[in-house]
Amino acid sequence: MKLPMLRPEGNVPESARLGGEENNVPVMLSRLDETIGFFEKNLSNALGWARKNSIFQYPFVTACCGMEYMSAMAGRYDIARFGAEFPRFSPRQADLLMIVGTINVKQSPVLKRVYDQMCEPKWVMAFGVCASSGGFYDNYATLQGADRIIPVDVYVPGCPPRPEQVLDGLKILQDKIQTQRHRASTMERAPEMGK
Amino acid sequence: MSQALIELVRGKFPDATGSSHRGDEVVTVPRERVVEVIGFLRNDPAAEMKLLRQIAAVDVLTFRSETTGGGSIASIEAPAYALQKKPSVEPRYQVAYNLYSITRRQSLRVRVELRSDDMKVPTITGLFRTADWWERYIYDMFGVHFDGHPNLQRLMLYPEFVGYPLRKDYPVRKRQLLVPELDFPDLVRGPGPGPGGAGVPMSQTHVGRANVDPNTYD
Ligand code: SF4
Repeated sequence: MKLPMLRPEGNVPESARLGGEENNVPVMLSRLDETIGFFEKNLSNALGWARKNSIFQYPFVTACCGMEYMSAMAGRYDIARFGAEFPRFSPRQADLLMIVGTINVKQSPVLKRVYDQMCEPKWVMAFGVCASSGGFYDNYATLQGADRIIPVDVYVPGCPPRPEQVLDGLKILQDKIQTQRHRASTMERAPEMGK
Repeated sequence: MSQALIELVRGKFPDATGSSHRGDEVVTVPRERVVEVIGFLRNDPAAEMKLLRQIAAVDVLTFRSETTGGGSIASIEAPAYALQKKPSVEPRYQVAYNLYSITRRQSLRVRVELRSDDMKVPTITGLFRTADWWERYIYDMFGVHFDGHPNLQRLMLYPEFVGYPLRKDYPVRKRQLLVPELDFPDLVRGPGPGPGGAGVPMSQTHVGRANVDPNTYD
């Protein structure tokens, strides 16, 4: 499977590429193309700025990490300072899927379905070692990391991670959102996984 | 004190055997008598065991105790080693009913031994409603069948699961996934099932041990 190439700049229009996705060498840009590229870059930056500062999350809380999640949400650490204060309890309204806790095999179809229900653009954070790699539950019942079934953007290690780590992970995700390319008309599609 | 309980049971059921270890009293009864014995313990005024604390099952594949025929292979020893030597402990399984009397503050364990070729025990759901889920749990994890149980299905695991995971010979690394795995290179946990991978699903690999056959006992 081929992951789509990340083009942070977003300043080269599609039409100016030689041979489609494989060959990313820009050829002779006309003035028009340059102008379009300039606007596309600014639009992408603006959309990235807007999106990174209004992350609506869907907390998929399954285990003890939920305690630290609550702590990160509540007043003392206050994840709202970074624009992520709204837990949405419908995946259709959420941008960020936070996988908080152990995912066991019986639950994995639910997680997959929740991910599929989220609208593009969407991001995923694995919160704690259980969601990242299965943690110490190396047994018959546990999925060895949520990235076995859905793509994950940020891994926050720790058992459970301290709220500072969660905030750090969130800021890393914000950087990622800012630098990836956003387009107004068509959303960047997540790679087709699991085919 | 509870020695008296063992005597009480043995007076009524001469084929029960009792043992005691540091205040932990056990009576081992034949399988056919388990409902009778537990019913007797529940209703007898000298026992009054109205609380079923737990039903547990044990797989004694890799160790022996005085109840399973003498000898002593420490359970700490590597199971694979013990399996190669095929100790063939029979009866291999035990089902233990832990009973407690709140009024008399005494406890007793009733134990049934099972051979691996005939794993059936009569249900005690007629005596204790709480036995329902305990028995389903033991069926789920060990595959012990409880005759007469109203709804003997898996309690924790999903219906697609094959085998019984708490049996000592269930392969440690065997996974039975419900969602197909993604194939992408994983630098830490080894290659996945994709074209460049080892063909082993990633969930069946282990750090530093990418190509372990998941179906071997380890
Ligand atoms: S990482 Fe630790 S705290 Fe978090 S769900 Fe797993 S076991 Fe619980």
